[in-house]
Amino acid sequence: MTKISARQSSAAETAPVDETADYYRESPWYPYALIAPTMVTLTVVALLPFLYMGWISLHEARYGQIGDFAGFSNFMTLLGDARFWNSMKVAGLFVAIAVPIEFMLGLVGALVLSQNIRFRNVLVPFLFIPSMMAPIIVGLVWKTMLAGSWGFFSYNILERFGILSGTSVFASPDLALYGLIFVDVWQWTPFMVLTFFAGMQALPASPFRAAQVDGANPVQIFFRLTLPMLAPLLFVIGLLRLIDAFKIYDTIYILTNGGPGITTESPSVLGYKYTFDFWEIGTASALAVVIWIIFFAFCNIFYQIAKRRLNVF
Amino acid sequence: MQNSKSRSLLFTTITVVYAMLILFPVFWMWSYAFKSEADMFARPTVWLFTPTLEHFDYMIENGFHHYLINSLIVSAASTVLVVIIGTPAAYAFARYRSMKLRDDLFLFVLATRMAPPVCLVIPYYLLYSKFDLLDTYLGLIIVYLTFNLSFYVWVLSSFCRDLPLELEEAARTEGYSRIGAFVKVLLPLLRSGITATAVLCFIFAWNEFMYAFLLGGQTVKTLPVGIPSLITTQGVRWGEMAIIGMVGTIPVMIVVFFLQKHIVRGLTMGAVKG
Repeated sequence: MTKISARQSSAAETAPVDETADYYRESPWYPYALIAPTMVTLTVVALLPFLYMGWISLHEARYGQIGDFAGFSNFMTLLGDARFWNSMKVAGLFVAIAVPIEFMLGLVGALVLSQNIRFRNVLVPFLFIPSMMAPIIVGLVWKTMLAGSWGFFSYNILERFGILSGTSVFASPDLALYGLIFVDVWQWTPFMVLTFFAGMQALPASPFRAAQVDGANPVQIFFRLTLPMLAPLLFVIGLLRLIDAFKIYDTIYILTNGGPGITTESPSVLGYKYTFDFWEIGTASALAVVIWIIFFAFCNIFYQIAKRRLNVF
Repeated sequence: MQNSKSRSLLFTTITVVYAMLILFPVFWMWSYAFKSEADMFARPTVWLFTPTLEHFDYMIENGFHHYLINSLIVSAASTVLVVIIGTPAAYAFARYRSMKLRDDLFLFVLATRMAPPVCLVIPYYLLYSKFDLLDTYLGLIIVYLTFNLSFYVWVLSSFCRDLPLELEEAARTEGYSRIGAFVKVLLPLLRSGITATAVLCFIFAWNEFMYAFLLGGQTVKTLPVGIPSLITTQGVRWGEMAIIGMVGTIPVMIVVFFLQKHIVRGLTMGAVKG
């Protein structure tokens, strides 16, 4: 089980004692031999293509032809393009609305799930299904459910309240993004519920017993004990969802493809259009480099927190 | 006692209703696979309908079963490759924590996992068109290594950390070599972890859309790529799409039922142990 230390962050954080040091001294090259195949493979399939892309981003490149060295002109083009800033805004809005909703619902759901529920083991697998489904199929599900005039949800729910008669949420410039957020919430909330539930199950029992003896009420216990003890876990999961939501492509592709207009054009969708619709390979590479730098920062934070505070990895 | 009983009933009901809310849209989409167009577009909604197999006939006639075979080939091959390459690395990252540069290398592995496909698809497209790897099984199998190998190493590493060190020490004093101890003593204990992580890799490859869409093509189309190809100029073939949605979701459902213990760990990259 995970040990989530409830120490205050002010306490000195030391790495766990490493009991494998002796083995390591025995022959320092051995672990490197074990990781070599993975490292070589990842270098070839990920690092080299990435460096190649970085190289392209510094050259004039269109229609698959790499031209002269161009310095940072591709980045300048990118930063001067209103569509780039729009895509950042779309991703920002998406993350800023979807992730907090998923968090709140996830916490509430985890509290419900930790009650005395019958058939829990039968119900839990169902909650995993949306997060394991292909995003493109999730998109398809909601494309049919929310299709204009005949979609089950559009007809039976939205039209009942006189919303959007005969048309789809995804055809409305004002609502399309919220439709996508709704789909994301549908897909990821159950997973949040189960993750937070797993985290709660792993918490040590003694502080809770002590609190009950002292006569704390459930609300106090939740805000004074559960939440602070879960904090590092919440942070790590939040980062993961942030990264995932920022990457979103498949569902948008099938539901709106960035439309209507550019109201739902996420950075991934924009990168795709730069490359395969406009053939602006240089600009697309610059965008990819920018996205990757942002991501690398997030990854680093995720790793540090998970390692230090959660004592995993 | 009565109070706690009714409370438990209330929360059970809430959970059941929530699970149904999640499942309903999925199964409703499945129903389109068996509905005639008239039943699909009917207003008000038709609940009872006579099932038809016309959509299945169309799929077979147009060779959509090849998509299924392609998906199976690419997902299985990339998973096998990942297990062979990644297992020793996962063990080394978990065991040899004082290895120089361990954290940097581990972070590099994580970064390849997190990279958005849109970032890598550009160089891959250019390189593949140079080396004739577009629209080949090998091309997709290679590109799937980017997210699956890194995923596998991270998650299996968290399984490796759960193994007690004493076991290995005991095996070593018994006279096993380092490699012998790993193969004979640790691998059998890791079996469930390896299986779970590998199956998750399979599902990720099975679900993958963007690379398959852009680096696949005419001969190597996977199931997810079949979905947009059914949006034609003559109209959208909803029933056929629903079949792909159904066939694509069935393995996921099976996996979820057998692996529920490990999914949380998998989807949180090992940060949370389910």
